[in-house]
Amino acid sequence: MVEAAPFRERFETRALLATLVVVVALLSMLPLARLAFEAIAPGGVPSLDATSRVLGDATTWSAAGHSVATAVGGTLLATVLGSIVALLVALTDVRARNAYVFCFVLPLMLAPQVVALAWLQMFGPSSTLLKLVGLAPPPGTRNPLYSPQGIVLLLGVQYAPLVFLTLRAGLRTLPRELIEAALASGARPVRVVRTIVLPLMTPPLVAGVALAFVSCLGNFGIPAFLGIPANYLVLPTLIYQRMAGLGPSVLSDVAVLSMLVGTIAVAGIVVQDAMLRRRDFRITSTSLSARPFELGRWRLPVEIALWSVSAVMLALPLTALVLTSLVPAVGVALSSASATLDNYRFVLLEHDGARRAFRNSFGLSATAAWTIVFIAVPLAYFVVWRRSRLVRVVNLVAELPYALPGVVLAIAAILLFLKPLPLVGVTLYNTVWILLFCYLARFLVLGLRPVVSGYYQLDRTLEEAAQVAGARLLRRIRTIILPLVAPAAAAGALLIFLTAFNELTLSALLWSSGAETLGVVLFSFQQGGDANYAAALASLTVVLTIALMLSTLFVASRLPPGVLPWRD
Amino acid sequence: MNATYRFTRALLAGCVLALALAGAAAAQAPKGKLVLYTSQPERDAAQTVAAYKRVNPAVEVEVFRSGTTEVMAKLAAEFAAGQPKPDVLLLADAATMESLKKDGRLMAHPQAKVAGLDPGTYDADRTYFGSKLITTGIAVNTSAKSRPTSWADLAKPEYKGQIAMPSPLYSGAAAIMLGTMTARNDLGWPFFEKLKAADAVAVRGNGAVLTAVANGEKTYGVLVDFMAFNAKAKGSPIDFIMPAEGLPAVTEPVAILKTTQNADAAKAFVDFILSDEGQKLAASMGYIPANPSAGMPAWMPAGMKIKLMPTNIAQVVDNNSANLKRFAQIFGN
Repeated sequence: MVEAAPFRERFETRALLATLVVVVALLSMLPLARLAFEAIAPGGVPSLDATSRVLGDATTWSAAGHSVATAVGGTLLATVLGSIVALLVALTDVRARNAYVFCFVLPLMLAPQVVALAWLQMFGPSSTLLKLVGLAPPPGTRNPLYSPQGIVLLLGVQYAPLVFLTLRAGLRTLPRELIEAALASGARPVRVVRTIVLPLMTPPLVAGVALAFVSCLGNFGIPAFLGIPANYLVLPTLIYQRMAGLGPSVLSDVAVLSMLVGTIAVAGIVVQDAMLRRRDFRITSTSLSARPFELGRWRLPVEIALWSVSAVMLALPLTALVLTSLVPAVGVALSSASATLDNYRFVLLEHDGARRAFRNSFGLSATAAWTIVFIAVPLAYFVVWRRSRLVRVVNLVAELPYALPGVVLAIAAILLFLKPLPLVGVTLYNTVWILLFCYLARFLVLGLRPVVSGYYQLDRTLEEAAQVAGARLLRRIRTIILPLVAPAAAAGALLIFLTAFNELTLSALLWSSGAETLGVVLFSFQQGGDANYAAALASLTVVLTIALMLSTLFVASRLPPGVLPWRD
Repeated sequence: MNATYRFTRALLAGCVLALALAGAAAAQAPKGKLVLYTSQPERDAAQTVAAYKRVNPAVEVEVFRSGTTEVMAKLAAEFAAGQPKPDVLLLADAATMESLKKDGRLMAHPQAKVAGLDPGTYDADRTYFGSKLITTGIAVNTSAKSRPTSWADLAKPEYKGQIAMPSPLYSGAAAIMLGTMTARNDLGWPFFEKLKAADAVAVRGNGAVLTAVANGEKTYGVLVDFMAFNAKAKGSPIDFIMPAEGLPAVTEPVAILKTTQNADAAKAFVDFILSDEGQKLAASMGYIPANPSAGMPAWMPAGMKIKLMPTNIAQVVDNNSANLKRFAQIFGN
């Protein structure tokens, strides 16, 4: 370490760090602190009124129970599905692995409300798809997805890729010797998996489970589409209904509900931590990764099974979605006479709100992506090469808005920005800027992680040479580090763009006229009875998402491994 | 002075006068931005705005669309923040407008042309004006084996588990329906309790009822007329029944907020809604217009008489929150 740095260098470093700390504190800490403050001191007056009122209400606990039930169920399904697929893809010699990973991870990148809408169109007495094959149930049958089981199923489908990704990353580090020793001792492959692979993979598996649990808990789109029509509320939809139906008079109550959701999420993370502390899971060898198991005559059946799972999870619902978008009205059967592109025409050309939503979603997502990358590159410098306790705390704080459910951040932002800002007298509430603020806060960590892994690939001597030659910090970041870390930063920007483009949780609570996003317009169409317009809009966003994901495959080879989730 | 000079002077004076008049007219043509909060369905709101813009091309319109309750909640949030955004409101029912008027939030528009309109559809102080007549009746999927002929019929046990209705906690039209029906002796609260016993589901808004009935998930629904007829015209397997006791109706009034930033455009919007063109547009969208001389929607045969249920608006407004609470107790949140 170059300790005897001249004064200006130290000053610049400290100034940059201070700026970054302030930015992260403003984005992450301030809203959450304001939320906690509102829960214990509603309206500025310290009192436990709001807390006792909310905690004493039976609706709160029924919604909390539903939340935990669907989160646990969804996590279980996601874990089983994701780990089986991860083991098969990472440890065996199935073919077309890249294509399969792309298809399996796709539901994760799609908006939850699009997934919900697509699956809804697959069932029900007037499902266009079922009518086409003559399997439509008789009228009067309830769509089976409008139930807690439906919510659990879709949560599992949406977040199985999360468990898959974390487990697969862990499986890459599995050492060859342990497995070969077991095989040489006569153990069958299944036994090897059971007694060696799975115990060693406990950390990534538990991490994946915790991630899936928190995501299921905070998911809004799926319970909104499937639960609200069945009057089955979970905490995020309860918060949304209270806010939408009663306005800011219930802000204190809703703040308490948000704290409750956050507490349950944190409890999940703490349990994960506790589980990992009890044993030592370190892998001591750093040899090559395991050679794939050969499946022999099982290979084809396994491949067929894998692709069938993907077909059910992805292809069928998307087909149902597109078919519904081609029908002029709800309940009409699809035929060559009734097929029409009217819905697309309305959504793209006639409906002002949808056109504005495309512009807003694009603009907000792109702005958020580049701003976050602009913050993430210098921040990652400190996280990777200038680690101190302050930086560790900042890193942790930056994770909070993404780890906690989105409704928590949305309510916190409303509390923060409802009244005009102190010095400038401008109100951000009800404008597009409050949405941008929330995007920046929530997706910061999505940009930080790829950039950090990009830094790990760099050779620090380049930077040190520049420092010895007299270049100060900002110049070194700008001229040396940025070009080298650019691919990883761009990948992070794309990830942020895709996630922000498809999100609904934040915009459902924060949108205003002129600032609608695609998720909101979709929700509005569905709630207004225009299921066909909703299907057309959803199909368009799916095509866009897939196109963007495919476009990255051209540059995928230059990126550090694991940055793009859909690439092996 | 010679004749040429006098002629030139007159010509110049005429030009200046013409320019002044043109300038005044141009200055009076509405321009700028107009923000509309409405509970109309998306497509109808889009069509209304497009037609208004054809008459007033210099105005840029922004629309916020949601169920009446959600629009009111958003409005309450903006009032609390001291920055209400909308200039005009086009909401389902007069009861909502009455409560806004009581809070002093509405701007009167005395010059509105109310000739040809029934005095019961607009406010005596000219703060809100009914734009159309939307009735609520019984929608039925065409595959249904039997059809109810009256509201009391709907609560019969043979329709158990097959009924969807819009929740008054979300829809303004449903709130009026609740207030109107509970005030009647032949229906009252026992009717809703019987509906609950028949496992009727209260869903979020008329749109959800339309989806459920047209999809076949529920065979019967309580639904507004234009939604059923418009869907039927596009081929949905749905029919509309007018029950024997009569149909509760709302007038979908339009009103201007006192805090409007663009009073000219707002007044022009009200004028457009009440004008011949606006009323004909409503008829073409499948609504019964407030001004009968504008013609009837396509689904209504000539000479058809609709039996309306009389509504005491003042009574509905007074009992609204108590009614909603009781409904929530019966049907859940």
